[in-house]
This record gives sequence, structure tokens and C-alpha cells, in this order.
Amino acid sequence: MIEYYTFKHRGDSLDFLDEVYLTLIPNMTVAIFYGSHLAEGARSQTLLFSEILNSEEGAKSISELNSVMTECLDENSEYLLLRSVNDGIECFRRGEVCAKIIRNGTVSILPNGYFRLSSDDRLVCATSNFYRFLTDEGILADALVSDTCSEWMNMMIRRISDQNQLKCGNLSAVTLKLGN
Amino acid sequence: MYDFSLLPEDSIVAICVALALFAFSFISFSIILLYSLIKTNIYTKQHKDKLKLVCDVAYFHERGKRDNQEDSIYISPMDKAEDNGVVVACSDGMGGLLNGEVVSKYVTDSLTENYPYKFDAQDDNAAVITDISNKVYEEYHLGAGATLVMVHVYDDYMNFYSLGDSNIILIRNNHATLLNYKQNYITLMIRKFAEGGIDTVDAYKDTRAKGLIDFVGNHNCHVLKTSKPLRLMENDILIISSDGVTDSIPLNRLVNHIHFDQNASGIARSLKYGVKTKRNPRQDNYSAIVIKMTRSFV
Repeated sequence: MIEYYTFKHRGDSLDFLDEVYLTLIPNMTVAIFYGSHLAEGARSQTLLFSEILNSEEGAKSISELNSVMTECLDENSEYLLLRSVNDGIECFRRGEVCAKIIRNGTVSILPNGYFRLSSDDRLVCATSNFYRFLTDEGILADALVSDTCSEWMNMMIRRISDQNQLKCGNLSAVTLKLGN
Repeated sequence: MYDFSLLPEDSIVAICVALALFAFSFISFSIILLYSLIKTNIYTKQHKDKLKLVCDVAYFHERGKRDNQEDSIYISPMDKAEDNGVVVACSDGMGGLLNGEVVSKYVTDSLTENYPYKFDAQDDNAAVITDISNKVYEEYHLGAGATLVMVHVYDDYMNFYSLGDSNIILIRNNHATLLNYKQNYITLMIRKFAEGGIDTVDAYKDTRAKGLIDFVGNHNCHVLKTSKPLRLMENDILIISSDGVTDSIPLNRLVNHIHFDQNASGIARSLKYGVKTKRNPRQDNYSAIVIKMTRSFV
């Protein structure tokens, strides 16, 4: 079973320039593009990112997909690609977008490559602008007390809101629970 | 080039012997140094394995400018900590309602009666709290209530339970984090505003913002609880407190009142005087239990 919740908020910016992509078929794939962090050409790069994912290239393996991204996107592009493979997850991140994993009462950044998951693991994928207003302990506590991914996300949003009333630029994140 | 053939044979032999001796001493010294380094590391590791994380606990319980003490605290027997862990709780009688001190005392007395708690039975422990809440409801029918924060530490893990807007604060690496989210109306408004894609400024201006949506005394309350325990580290500091503490010392200023080499008593004392020196003419009751995780022989 896969449970997920996505959050996209333009904050105090005029536009939402990030991209959050999620598909469940054939394998669950999550991709986040940190367009709002680009100095120029954000909109075209964001569009290009989602075009690649929606094309037949999107079905390729993470490493192949990443090669295509590297080839087509601006060199300053920052993104995260995540795909469930068998009983684990394959991850590639570039720049200040990352996934954090909650396991055994601790939180840590998911490394690039294949990572085996257990049924209790929870994941949050987000841009650095989302993490900037959170502590690892806060992310962890919210994950451990929430029953669903949406509840977890809402708790983190509450923490961000307490600091800046969501007037903080684009916020993009996905909470995930894979397994039984 | 030196011509060693000019040296007397005895001198050459002496130099060779000296060089051999030097080489021998150097090698011996290196081996001894390497051995002692390895030995020290192994010893330190073995020694550390014998040391467990234990709770150093202290508290303060002050009335502030109120006529009554509506906070109530509970600390489980420390002599049973090795078997059952350490359970601490703080209950704060709800302002504006009658019998705040009676309800908060009833909450902590009930927690005392239900001791011991199984560490991995979070649902059962939450059910105990729901049961307490239902009994308060049957007695007062929302005419009285209290908040509750409860922490259960076992070895280097903790579970927590929360109802209302009291605090469970973790200080780690010089940064304070509120672990439990406050069950007040503002939470619902933020969710609604965020889903609508707008900022949440108006949510904080709403007069109902701080009103509690759940508390002890509510019928079939929803206890916020950890489904899996949170791992604690050496030198972590837990502060389980009523909002009288954080009303005077905001979360982001807490660390300014603490020295990290202090033990739990020292931290509790610093916080107590920190609140006192604010000289708030409307100071609410303020109580806190401080737990410092230290490594020690058991």
C-alpha cells in the first residue's frame, strides 16, 4: 500500500514555480523540481522538467532519467527523483531538494542510490525552502504522532506557519508511507 | 661524499651498533604506542557500552500571580525506573472554567493510580487518558477541564501523549523544538488557509485562535500520541511544562536561560528564575519537569 500527500503553496511569491510530480503507475515515482530557486528561466525549466517526466523518458530507470535531465535542463537546476523499486526506493537528488526518512525514532537524509525500506518507514520529500523552517526533531515528532500522511503534512505546515504565516516563497513537499 | 674507510674500524662498529639500537628503540616505541592506542579505544568502547542513558529529573511548581495553583505534576517512582521507565506528566487546569485545580489534580492522581505503564502499549496508555477525560466529562459536562502532557522515557527512547496546549519541548544541539502540536482552533484555520493557497495571517488574528479543540474533560477526546518511540541522545533536555512557562519565556529564547553543562536541577532553577525575573503582573501558574539525558552506570 502506498499513502501520500502532496503540498504546493506559492507563499508570498506571485507564481508557483516549483513542480511536484507524482505518479503511481507502473511504479510510484515522485519528482520535485526547485524552480523557484532558479535565478532565470524558471518557468521554462519547470515545464521542461514535467514534459520529460510525462514523455516515454519518464518510464526509464532513475539513472537513465537523470542522464536525460542533466542533458536537457539548465546546469543550475535542482531536483529530486524518487521511485519505488521492489521493496525499496531508488533516489537521486541534485541541489537543495532532498528526501528525509523516519526510521527507528530518528530522521536522516535519504542518500542517492537504492535504499531498502521497511513497513514502518516514512518519507518526506521537499525543497530546502520547506525544510528551512523546520527542525529534524519537529519533522520526526510530527511523523511519529500522525496517523496519516495528510495529518503529518498539516502538522509541519502548522510549524512553518507559526514562524512566517506562510509568507515565505514557494513551498513544495510530499509525505509518503510505503509498505503494509 | 664521506669516506668511511678513513674511520677506525672500532668507530664504524660503534656507529652501526648505535644505529641498530636507535632503529630497534624506534620500532619498539611505535609498536607500544600503536598497541596502547588500540587498547584505549577498545576500553573506551567497552566502557561506553556499560553506560546507559538515564534520566536526571527535576521540577518546579509555582503559583505565579494566581490565587490558586491549577497546575499539577506527576513523576513516577525513580526506584522503579529501570523496570518501568520514567513517566512524568503536567496537567494545567483550564483558565476561565471552574475547578481547574480539582481537575488537574484528579488527572495526575489518576495517572499515579494507573502506574506502571507499558512502554510499547501506546494505545492502552492513551485509552487510560481518554478514560480519565470521560470521567471528568461525566462529572462536569464541559464545565471544567485541563490540559495534559505526559512523557514516558525507557532507555534511550521516549513516547509522549498530549491533550490541549501544554508543552513537551526537546532541546538538542542548542535548539528547542516543541514536539507536540497545540490542539487549538488555530490548527484548523491554518489547515484551511493553506489548502486554499493563501497566507495564514488572519488565522492568528482570530479571537478564537487559542481556544482548545481538545482537552481532558472532553468526551472521547483524541489523545495525541507517538505510535513509535522517538530516539533520545545523550545531553538531550526535555521540558514538560504548562503554558505559564512559555508565555514568559518563548520557545526560541529558552536556550538562552540554560547552560548545557547544568544538570536537571540547575536547568529547572534557571528556568524558574527566568520566569520570575520577567515580573509579569499577570503571571499564570508555571510548572515544569526537566529531564536531562545523561550517560551513567546503572
